[in-house]
Amino acid sequence: MSSLCLQDSYDMFEMNGEVDVKMKKKKKIKKKDRLEGMKKEMDIVSVSKSLTLSPLLPLKSPQGLTSSKAAEVLERDGPNELLPPKGTPEYVKFARQLAGGLQCLMWVAAVICFIAFGIEFSRGTLGCFDDLYLAITLITVVVVTGCFGYYQEFKSTNIIASFKNLVPQQALVIRDGQKNQINAMDLVVGDLVEIKGGDRVPADIRIIFAQGCKVDNSSLTGESEPQSKTPECTHENPLETKNIAFFSTTCLEGVATGTVINTGDRTIIGRIASLASGVGNEKTPIAIEIEHFVDIIAGLAIFFGFTFFVVAMFIGYAFLEAMIFFMAIVVAYVPEGLLATVTVCLSLTAKRLARKNCVVKNLEAVETLGSTSVICSDKTGTLTQNRMTVAHLWFDNVIHAADTTEDQSGQSFDQSSETWRSLARVAGLCNRAIFKPNQESLPIPRRIVVGDASETALLKFTELAIGNMMEYRERFKKVVEVPFNSTNKFQLSVHELEDPMDLRYLLVMKGAPERILERCSTILIKGQEMPLDEQWREAFQTAYMDLGSLGERVLGFCHIYLNENEFPRGYKFDSDEMNFTTSGLCFAGLISMIDPPRATVPDAVMKCRHHSLPHCDHPITARAIAANVGIITEGSETVEDIATRKRIPVEQVNRRDARACVISGGQLKDMSSEELDEALRSHPEMVFARTSPQQKLIIVESCQRLGSIVAVTGDGVNDSPALKKADIGIAMGIAGSDAAKNAADMILLDDNFASIVTGVEQGRLIFDNLKKSIAYTLTKNIPELTPYLIYITVSVPLPLGCITILMIELATDIFPSVSLAYEKAESDIMHLKPRNPRKDRLVNESLAAYSYFQIGAIQSFAGFTDYFTAMAQEGWYPLLCVGLRSHWEDVHLQDLQDSYGQEWEWTSRLYQQYTCYTVFFISIEICQIADVLIRKTRRLSIFQQGFFRNKVLVSAIVFQLLLGNLLCYCPGMPNIFNFMPIRGQWWFVPIPYGILIFVYDEIRKLGVRRHPGSK
Amino acid sequence: MNNKEDERVDTGVKEPYFWNPRTHEFLGRTASSWGLILLFYLVFYIFLGGMFVLTMYVMLLTLDDYKPTYQDRLVTPGMMIRPRGEAMEILYNTKDTESFDIYAQTLNNFLESYNNSLQVQNNDECPPDNYFIQEDSGEVRNNPKRSCQFNRSTLEECSGITDRTYGYQKGQPCVLIKLNRVIGMLPGKDGQSPYVTCGAKKEDSDAIGELAYYPPNGTFNLMYFPYYGKKAQLNYSQPLVAVKFLNISLNTDVNVECKINSNTLKTGGERDKFAGRVSFKLRITSPKN
Repeated sequence: MSSLCLQDSYDMFEMNGEVDVKMKKKKKIKKKDRLEGMKKEMDIVSVSKSLTLSPLLPLKSPQGLTSSKAAEVLERDGPNELLPPKGTPEYVKFARQLAGGLQCLMWVAAVICFIAFGIEFSRGTLGCFDDLYLAITLITVVVVTGCFGYYQEFKSTNIIASFKNLVPQQALVIRDGQKNQINAMDLVVGDLVEIKGGDRVPADIRIIFAQGCKVDNSSLTGESEPQSKTPECTHENPLETKNIAFFSTTCLEGVATGTVINTGDRTIIGRIASLASGVGNEKTPIAIEIEHFVDIIAGLAIFFGFTFFVVAMFIGYAFLEAMIFFMAIVVAYVPEGLLATVTVCLSLTAKRLARKNCVVKNLEAVETLGSTSVICSDKTGTLTQNRMTVAHLWFDNVIHAADTTEDQSGQSFDQSSETWRSLARVAGLCNRAIFKPNQESLPIPRRIVVGDASETALLKFTELAIGNMMEYRERFKKVVEVPFNSTNKFQLSVHELEDPMDLRYLLVMKGAPERILERCSTILIKGQEMPLDEQWREAFQTAYMDLGSLGERVLGFCHIYLNENEFPRGYKFDSDEMNFTTSGLCFAGLISMIDPPRATVPDAVMKCRHHSLPHCDHPITARAIAANVGIITEGSETVEDIATRKRIPVEQVNRRDARACVISGGQLKDMSSEELDEALRSHPEMVFARTSPQQKLIIVESCQRLGSIVAVTGDGVNDSPALKKADIGIAMGIAGSDAAKNAADMILLDDNFASIVTGVEQGRLIFDNLKKSIAYTLTKNIPELTPYLIYITVSVPLPLGCITILMIELATDIFPSVSLAYEKAESDIMHLKPRNPRKDRLVNESLAAYSYFQIGAIQSFAGFTDYFTAMAQEGWYPLLCVGLRSHWEDVHLQDLQDSYGQEWEWTSRLYQQYTCYTVFFISIEICQIADVLIRKTRRLSIFQQGFFRNKVLVSAIVFQLLLGNLLCYCPGMPNIFNFMPIRGQWWFVPIPYGILIFVYDEIRKLGVRRHPGSK
Repeated sequence: MNNKEDERVDTGVKEPYFWNPRTHEFLGRTASSWGLILLFYLVFYIFLGGMFVLTMYVMLLTLDDYKPTYQDRLVTPGMMIRPRGEAMEILYNTKDTESFDIYAQTLNNFLESYNNSLQVQNNDECPPDNYFIQEDSGEVRNNPKRSCQFNRSTLEECSGITDRTYGYQKGQPCVLIKLNRVIGMLPGKDGQSPYVTCGAKKEDSDAIGELAYYPPNGTFNLMYFPYYGKKAQLNYSQPLVAVKFLNISLNTDVNVECKINSNTLKTGGERDKFAGRVSFKLRITSPKN
């Protein structure tokens, strides 16, 4: 029986795998399959209920497995551990860094260089080594930027790896009738294991014996409430039933014995983890943008290259020459420095984020947050503190609010009432939770407590309100206690009083409020016992409802002084018989608890008010939390709210009227994907409650189908598939499980939701600034390209060499373009809507046209002006230059006449050509300084933004000028990089054009500000 | 709001991008929009072009017609040979008249302007071993400037007057060497004229044989300097030195390098193999019988 059921669950798993394979093969039917796969899985989950329902058979062998059998099974199933997701091999990661779109183009250019070098070298042409250097430089650029990117990735992977817990887990197993402590890895199906409070459950276990066993399933289901585990099967769904404890959850208290039913990757957690690895990683928006942009660049480069290749052939150049032109055009056109710029900009932001405790695993994810339009947040641990805290108290017929902030900075309530003292005494005494020792130095909220969540909350609350509870309890010696159980739903204990003269016993009781009220006949009001009449009952009901509707868990508290005569000192209290008064008690008050939202969350949600969908645990709690943190805004109503307001049935409400919506996992299961899309579309504020990992995945898919860029936050294993699927997955660093961290792109080290806001802000800023950087980088491609075009068509001596181009791209202009990443935002970027990935591209036509055909054109003219000036002043008038190329480059012509009748040998002409390169280079540099200044802003005038606000940019300009001077005037440069020391006057020739660029752009910005939205 | 936008994008039929017949949009813009853009760019480029032409014009105005602003690259003049052949190689066969006729023809053409009659007619006879300096007096240009006679007969054996084939037929070829013209260059001081020496590159030193220089010692007399530019000095006769290879090895490649020896000009180092020197290859084929 048992084995059959196990077989079933294996099937379920394989089914998943199959679906995944299909998904990859056929994109069209992917969603349907996925949904069906999920449904099938659910069916099979319910089949496996037979497993959970089956009578207790393993007890017939209390000896456990024999060692030999265990070894056999271990051989068959493999060790009990989660196989790490198949990581990409390091060399593949590295190769990927070298094989991007731009990189490929540069490889092609390098190969052409090599070919050209080979041919020229075999012919013995002078100067053929330039091609070799060029090829080597190109390859170096690709490899160096590749290494840089790889190093970044490697570093963040290492951060992740350091999280991993390296201590091997131990398990207490019964084999051959003996209890052994063995490595949890060696557990096999069928083993009998014992777990006790504090242990991590070593495998999926069916409980066959339990005593007060409670486990924390929060890493699996996201519920912070401990689940008690008993041998009875209580639910069809294995996740809900009480007789299965899951791998990697923690046993909080009690003891249990169980049979291992699944090990390793076949455990529920293993399945979810592998579901995550089956989910394809979505491309990040910035990757898409860069690809889009590289396509444009590559297309244009090849178009230009090919056009001029044809033109050159047509004009009558040799094939090899035309090939070299082609290569040169590619080199001139491809922005070699862009790769480095983008990588450096992104890693700068990543560093900035790391300082704010966000570790970015994937550099490109830095920007993703900025373009995120939907944030799906998990409730537990992300929005909330993941610990029960006392939120409200009801005594003296007033609801008092307790301080729920993490650092106890909130307001406290009036504690002067006598009733409060009684209530606190009950809460403190009728409580089994204790602090772990030696934590006196820690603030109370952070101390570790042994006990369940609500008792912990009460303990901490009373500790804060009264003082040292451990000592307090010692003063009230406990005589007997009845622990909480599900039938009577209360817990009580009897204590001696602290006054040794007072020989009465004090009975304190807490439990479900209605059960407590039943047992009370009086109520404590302002320290006076009043008879509990209808009026008070009414008041109690109202308070109970009020607190319940806040999504809080309410407990009732009461006490009684036992009659001294009836129960004298030494009376034998019996906890089973309950041979003492348990009715006619005096009601002290209600205390309600909640997992409170983190202090920073509401503010953070306000800041990134797009569209947030938390997955929570209980519909009402979810609603309450969502409202609390501001996901559901004041004034927006759910369908149910509208129904109550209009006093009409829920069915008659127009669903479109509701801004907010709460959908539970059960409802979600019955919805088709179209219905879900529709729901997401019509409700900007959505709350999902009690969703399974698959459903989270479906929600994410649905959002992505609607064109949103989805961020998912989460900590549990149950979140990991959704984290992986999301455009950006954000895992919690402290509370997060390894699976979640593995699947995520970003990790919040301090678990602070507010860090996400920082992330969004930085992401948007980097998108804006990357735009500026790219515009800056693109502009100079035109003045780099036009010299070649003029050279080919008009046959002037070459104005700008390839190596000079590389020096611009890779040396002088890198720092300024990176410095734009330090530019402050122009306006409050958090107020803007998230960008529409379809329309708001990184590089669009108008940006490219503006950079290329306007600013780039001005720069080209500046370059040519300076070029012709340098030529003319050395004796070559512009008109003489036209058509001069073939003579100019003839190595055997040693007496070429200039405009003055002087004769030039080849070397002088070559150095004159280098002078032209340098002059053109200087012109581009001067114009680029104007360019970087205008790129500081996109709408504001530079005078509004401030010239010197960005210190890095200022130093970048200084650096650029110094480097330019070094290249020009350092001895030896003519023969290394083809730079010549040029005359000082030639630095000033391009300045009018620089001023033109500046003024022209100021006029454009003025126009943009005056007429927003046009052109 | 956000959602509505998404919806529209989602449900909207994908509009054709290249030509949209509904809105009459070509590549996403209407004709008038394209027209405006083209007009804008036309105006923009006319403006830029105008600015370019203006700056060029201003720049050209600043230039001196007679002397370049800078002569940074012409510190040491290069040298050149005549005939220069294909790629500085003089290859011929003594028995094959046609193979050296082209060289003789080149030299004939080249030396035509040096004919004594023309020189006497156009140029002055100058005192040798002194610079022929013709200063402008202040703003007043002293133009056109005179030039000194360089008579073809100075080249004697290599003048082509006595030997129409310039010695090519006998296997004793003449090569004319000239120093590149550089305005204002003064190639010697203390009355010492620069002179040319030729030698073989290392391995060919045995093959080169004896050389004869015309004018004697292979000097460029100082009276031909300085040069005042083609506009000021219309009939400038560039001084020449002829080198005659008297018994050069036949049937082998001989690499020859000639360089200028001057007490003011520095010949280029290893890197600059064209400054103040010229290299060429000679190969004279002569069938034994």
